[in-house]
Amino acid sequence: MTDTAYTQPMTARIAQFDRSPAKPAKAPERAQEPGKAWLARLSRSGGGSAMGRARAAGLLDGLAAVAFAAGLAFSVDAVASHRGPVTIAGWLLLVIVACLFRALLTYVGAEAGARAAAQAKASLRVDLARSVFGGPRRSAGQALTALVEGVEALDGLFARFLPTKLAAAVLPLVLIAAAAFASPIAAAIMLATLIPFIIAMIFAGTAAAAEARAQFQALERLSGLFLDRVRALPVVLAFQAEGTTTKALGRSASELAERTIRVLRVAFISSAALEFFAALSVALVAVYCGFNLLRLLPFPVPETLDLKRAFFVLALAPEVYAPMRRLAAAYHDRQAAEAAAARLVAFEAPPAKPAVAPLAKAPTIQFDGVTIRYPDADMPALSKFDLTVPAGAIIALVGASGAGKSSLLNLLLDLAPLTEGAILADGEVRANLAADIAWAGQSPLILPASIADNIALSRRDAPRAEIEAAAQAVGLILDRPGGLDFVLDERGSGLSGGERRRLSLARALLKPAPILLLDEPTANLELASETQLLGAIRAAARGRTTLIATHSEAVAALADKVVRL
Amino acid sequence: MSPLEELIRAQRRERAEALALAVLSAVVVGAASTILLGLSGWFIVASAAAGAAGLAVAHTFNVLIPSAMIRLLAILRTAARYGERLAGHTAALRALAAIRPAVFESLAAAPPSQSLTMSRGEASARLVQDVDAVETRFVRLSAPWSAGAGLSAAVAMAVLAGWLPALAILSGATGAMLAARAIARRRSAPARAAVQSRIGALKETTASLVAASAELRAYGLEAWAGETLNARATDLEDARLAAARAQGLIAASQAAITGVTVAAAMAAAIPAGAPLAALAGLAAAMSIEVLAGLAAALDQDGAAGEAHKRLDAILQHRPQSASTPAAAPTLLGQALRSGERLAVVGPSGCGKTTAVETLLGLRGEGSAVARSLFAWLPQDAGLIAGTVRDNLRLAAPSATDDQLWAVLEDAALADRVRAAPGGLSAFLGDDGERLSGGERRRLALARAYLRDAAWLLLDEPTEGLDPVTEARVVERLEQRLDRTGQGLVLISHRPAPAAICDRVLAMSAQEKGPAIWPPGLVSTS
Repeated sequence: MTDTAYTQPMTARIAQFDRSPAKPAKAPERAQEPGKAWLARLSRSGGGSAMGRARAAGLLDGLAAVAFAAGLAFSVDAVASHRGPVTIAGWLLLVIVACLFRALLTYVGAEAGARAAAQAKASLRVDLARSVFGGPRRSAGQALTALVEGVEALDGLFARFLPTKLAAAVLPLVLIAAAAFASPIAAAIMLATLIPFIIAMIFAGTAAAAEARAQFQALERLSGLFLDRVRALPVVLAFQAEGTTTKALGRSASELAERTIRVLRVAFISSAALEFFAALSVALVAVYCGFNLLRLLPFPVPETLDLKRAFFVLALAPEVYAPMRRLAAAYHDRQAAEAAAARLVAFEAPPAKPAVAPLAKAPTIQFDGVTIRYPDADMPALSKFDLTVPAGAIIALVGASGAGKSSLLNLLLDLAPLTEGAILADGEVRANLAADIAWAGQSPLILPASIADNIALSRRDAPRAEIEAAAQAVGLILDRPGGLDFVLDERGSGLSGGERRRLSLARALLKPAPILLLDEPTANLELASETQLLGAIRAAARGRTTLIATHSEAVAALADKVVRL
Repeated sequence: MSPLEELIRAQRRERAEALALAVLSAVVVGAASTILLGLSGWFIVASAAAGAAGLAVAHTFNVLIPSAMIRLLAILRTAARYGERLAGHTAALRALAAIRPAVFESLAAAPPSQSLTMSRGEASARLVQDVDAVETRFVRLSAPWSAGAGLSAAVAMAVLAGWLPALAILSGATGAMLAARAIARRRSAPARAAVQSRIGALKETTASLVAASAELRAYGLEAWAGETLNARATDLEDARLAAARAQGLIAASQAAITGVTVAAAMAAAIPAGAPLAALAGLAAAMSIEVLAGLAAALDQDGAAGEAHKRLDAILQHRPQSASTPAAAPTLLGQALRSGERLAVVGPSGCGKTTAVETLLGLRGEGSAVARSLFAWLPQDAGLIAGTVRDNLRLAAPSATDDQLWAVLEDAALADRVRAAPGGLSAFLGDDGERLSGGERRRLALARAYLRDAAWLLLDEPTEGLDPVTEARVVERLEQRLDRTGQGLVLISHRPAPAAICDRVLAMSAQEKGPAIWPPGLVSTS
């Protein structure tokens, strides 16, 4: 998939606007359209060669079905005309071989589908990660949902729905054509039942599909509601509102169930139509063939059947509808994918950052009437903010949570939107300030790797000596076996809160960046650890223009100037 | 019996009628599908024989009954299929609508150390995916019946051709079922369980990467993050592949057994003549096909088993009726006096919020005993997704709009709500995202006012407010306290609200225990 595959700023913005819950009834319908187009593009490009194998397995199954029907027909005919046991055994062997071939195809198809899904999801993950980590900041919940649940929701589409789709479109006609060799009139009967079936599917299907889609999204909203109440559980408990909340949730769940049931009454009609025409096709073919064989047809027909031909078309009749029934069984996968796509389409790929020559020394940073307003917010997070940070100075930003301290730091990394005003480094606007920034926050990224590798995330080609120097400068002294080569597990267990912060300061120190941003570097630390960390912060800030967002008075005391937001 | 089984049983009893209809329809579907194809095969072969014997024989051959039967079966199968699916899903949907709130209720009754430490991902896994996995317990209830009916019909038809073909079909179907069960147990169940746990692991990695967005940006690691995610996802995709293989293997075993069974049944039926051999062959094919639903249910059961265990762990907690506390509540060893106004101060991070949450029984094994005494404004406001009215009514479910406006007035938020489109019905988004930080806090303050409790417990009520609004909020708070005689426990590092308190509890950073100072000596700046 290319970068441009889902770069649709305008439609993406519409989708984002539509996600606003103020109009829950109508929003998902309109958000569906760009999502659908996005999904269609993804469906065409994703899956690679495995998708080809999965589709081929689906198509070859039609061939096996023909062989199976032929084997049955010739076997019955051999029995009827009292052939020798070898002939009968030969035809019965064809039945077995055809079924074994189908077994193999089923297995290969399932495996290839899973591989195609893995491939498609991997490429989608890379694109989404670029958007989530390279684009404007999104809420952690939104990002997490997109990267995990959103991607996983597409699994069934690639693993099951798409491989079946081609077979469902092609095989019925192929099988009818095969039947036409034996009996053109039986083939015509199959075709005749196929056409009203397709018309019924279009009428019942479009209505039911739209309803079912709305339903699917309503279900998602209900899940969202439950999760919201779990999030708010402390308040629910403190207000002793468990009972009323449970009742309210029960009411919502019941209302949704009743609505779903009403929808299903219609939705199942399309599958009933499928059933009906499949059964009707078998019945009509059987009755026609029977009367033809009895030569009792009340009207003249241009063909005289024999048992072989009659039995062949009869055995083939249920197979004509089988691919479409398989597709219908996988329809849920497509719905899940569509619902996810409506959200994922909003994750457009960010424009590529121009390469700029890095700043040579600590710059003066000037905030000139800066306003930050997040897309969904009614109020700006920061309004008309002016500040000049002299080159090499340490500025502490203090103020209540939500006053805009972190937003201001995020703004320098382009993680928050600059709604108004300008940021000047040494008097000029820089296209890619992030290249000149080192960062340390309150929850540093810890990888399951050695401590040295963890530090070197900020400069992956850094020589060992520099990594050691950085660790030493921030006082990251390790008395563990292996020292800096000590390998951390996924949770970074074994590192204390203070050591994690030191690690992230060492990381910041290793990148030769003239600007240092520290976001709550001592939050959640005990007083003693905080005091010990102050020296490390001072070491990391040396020779850099430094901005620290903090609640701590001790940290603020390090600063040349304290700015209250 | 496990609590979940009890819930499922209760729901099955309640939905007995719909489930019975589903089962009945399933029986018709299974039998009709098998008979339709078998009878069609017999009809064609018998017709061929009669036709070959000449026109006279053909005329004596009764065509009306078999051909009418065939058409009847086609219609019956369709109607029964519709009935089965609708009745089964109706029962399942109604049952889930009852089970999901029950899980929430148990979660709320669990000790806070379990319920309040649950991540969003875990909560969604329990309340959404795990409960969804229970759905099959209702929808698939009819699958064995359909399979049984189909198989019985197949065997009954095969018996016409002799006991040997019937035996072949019976053994084939038994073999197919045993194979499906063995593969499901050995392969599907572990693979599906692995898929669930590895999605969890992937979520954890993703969450830590998302939390480090700024670091990733600063160090140019955006593309690296995608690769890291994919490296982590390899485990998950391996498990998915194993699950797909298991599913493929089940389907493949069914297909292979179909071939052998059809051939065996036909060969065994040769002595009975071509029409009955055809009937036996087609009946054999159908006897395995009607098992497909049951095989799919076996395949799904692996995931359902894990989900059941996890749900049982939550459902063992049952709500207990709240009792009224006997003694006066204590905060950090200090008994709270009725009607007093106490300010709790101390540097940030010294544990004020923790102390308040302990008081409310929101920590550890916490008990609900003291909750009825307090009306709480949490530090993070803690709004629910919904309207202004939904949020306020959390404190008093039966409050009238007049009462709501009155508390909004006291929290200096009435004008803002009045100006919003929809007023009290204005939708606030998740966690009140359409409000500013200060507005969120004032709405939570109004909610606390609405609760009829002995003490107001306010955690930073004026944080993020401009001085004018803050003064108004504090003034109205004081008037309100004078009017209601409620006590106040206030956590704030701002001087204005602390000024209305008559006692100050100062916590030191080292948590050496509180010291009591007269208000004038405390610097709260």
